[in-house]
Amino acid sequence: MEIYLPIAGMSINFFLVIGIGGLVGFLSGLFGVGGGFLLTPLMMMIGIPPAVAAASDSNQIVAAASSGAFAHWRLGNVDFKMGLIILAGGIFGGTIGVQLVKVLRAAGNFEFVMKVVYVLMLGLVGGAMFMESLRTILRSKKQGAAVETTAVSEPKLGRLFAKLPLKMHFHRSGLSTSAIFPFSIGTIVGIMAALLGVGGGFIMVPAMIYIIGMPTIAAIGTDLFQIVLTSANVTLQQAMFNKTVDLLLALILLFGSTIGAQFGAIVGRRLKGEQIRILLAVIVLVLTVKIFLDLVITPSDLVSLAPATGGGH
Amino acid sequence: MKRTLHSLLVLGLVCLWIAPALAATPKDNPKVLTAASKNLIEIGLSYKGDQIHFFGVNPVPGADVVIRLTAEKEDAVKLSVKGKVGPFWMTVKQYEVTGSPFIYKIHSGKPLEQIISPDTARELELGYPAIKDKMQMHLIRGDAAPEDKDLVFKGMLKIKEEANLYNIVQDPQRLEVAEGRLFKHYFRFPPAATEGRYLVESFCFDKGQLVGYGKDVIEIKKVGLEAWMTNTSQNHPTFFGILAVLIAAGTGLLVGVIFRKGGHH
Repeated sequence: MEIYLPIAGMSINFFLVIGIGGLVGFLSGLFGVGGGFLLTPLMMMIGIPPAVAAASDSNQIVAAASSGAFAHWRLGNVDFKMGLIILAGGIFGGTIGVQLVKVLRAAGNFEFVMKVVYVLMLGLVGGAMFMESLRTILRSKKQGAAVETTAVSEPKLGRLFAKLPLKMHFHRSGLSTSAIFPFSIGTIVGIMAALLGVGGGFIMVPAMIYIIGMPTIAAIGTDLFQIVLTSANVTLQQAMFNKTVDLLLALILLFGSTIGAQFGAIVGRRLKGEQIRILLAVIVLVLTVKIFLDLVITPSDLVSLAPATGGGH
Repeated sequence: MKRTLHSLLVLGLVCLWIAPALAATPKDNPKVLTAASKNLIEIGLSYKGDQIHFFGVNPVPGADVVIRLTAEKEDAVKLSVKGKVGPFWMTVKQYEVTGSPFIYKIHSGKPLEQIISPDTARELELGYPAIKDKMQMHLIRGDAAPEDKDLVFKGMLKIKEEANLYNIVQDPQRLEVAEGRLFKHYFRFPPAATEGRYLVESFCFDKGQLVGYGKDVIEIKKVGLEAWMTNTSQNHPTFFGILAVLIAAGTGLLVGVIFRKGGHH
């Protein structure tokens, strides 16, 4: 069954899009990550123009994250004060990011920059996760028993930032630090959200736990809360300035990912934490290699279409 | 006074020079009667391109028939040319290409060069060499090189052919002519053929001379949800953005309530 995507301006198999949405949803349900960082490259592989893929994924993330944020809010896991400061940074970064996309698209190198950022980010995250989970598996084999995760040591960077001005107390997270710190993390993630069409959870949550020093559950709840608002901002700006949000594509993806996530969560409960993490690390690394090869292997077509700035088709 | 006379004389000469050129336009030739199976293509939710059958009567029995599909709009595309920078392949220059047709398909019963002379082909814009002549390139970024025209034209041709927007079929099977008079054929409009007016022109040639010309107009337009989404996103981008966010957030919350566990992240 073919479906015509109005903004992407192309006809595509409906079940292919649902299937990709379902696969990413399954993985995000299994691994507990947003999945936007997998979705955008997959969309590009099936021929969706990069800028439309990124913008529509942001739109899809609004939906995916809001259902999670709602649940965490009911459980009291959202540090609104921290979330709002990160959000202020996120909106600032998102605004910069969208303008950056505009400039890069006009210059014709949006795809290149996007792929380089992807390779760096995914390679770093995938590599670190692979090493960490491999070490955990080896250690648990050696000791024959499950190893408790080592307590997170008080982050050094966090202590340094706590000395900066604009110091605030965050009741829910139980810590005091300078507002400049979460704001700048928000800015960086906001820029990436616009560039890559990702929610940024896979960078934000580790940053909040390991760098800011928040409790894990509060970090996840707060992260989801800010992702909803950050990606809502990115979606709005993409729609206004680049006109690349394909609502129909986002809705189909959402439908697939919602169902996939439920299955992912069921399978996830049967696997050990480090098994899940090493699996995710392998997927991320395979994707990294694929994108990296795209950058270095001689392309079959030297001449390609550069999308007109602001054009929606 | 003398000056005015002079200008009038020049003007007269120019007119004399233009007149035969005007007389040679295809429209002045005997009309080829044609009919299309439909004149309107609607892009709906399940649109995946469409096919239209055409019929026509050859004014001179046995004359060669050449059919051309073009769009009313001309193309203005930006093409990126990749080059190697260090170990990476990235865009090194960009051209704005204008003057080439958005869609260009030709059907004929035998190779064009057996039907018309290269000059006639160029004049009537039949065949790829004519398109290449018409194509204009403006360098936007990077350094121009002499081989760029070939490279860009070939690249554009490939992009267009892959999207099924350009092709030339020279096959009697595809363009049937019954008893030298009645001809029939079809054009496939690919999904990449966007909204707009399209022209299907029939040229009849007898011994290389144009002896008949006919024209059908096909309109493609988005309808229903597709039309609404496109128009809203282009003309009311802020409203469309807010709507996209609200629909997504609403759906997310609904899913959260339905599954109770709170979705996924």
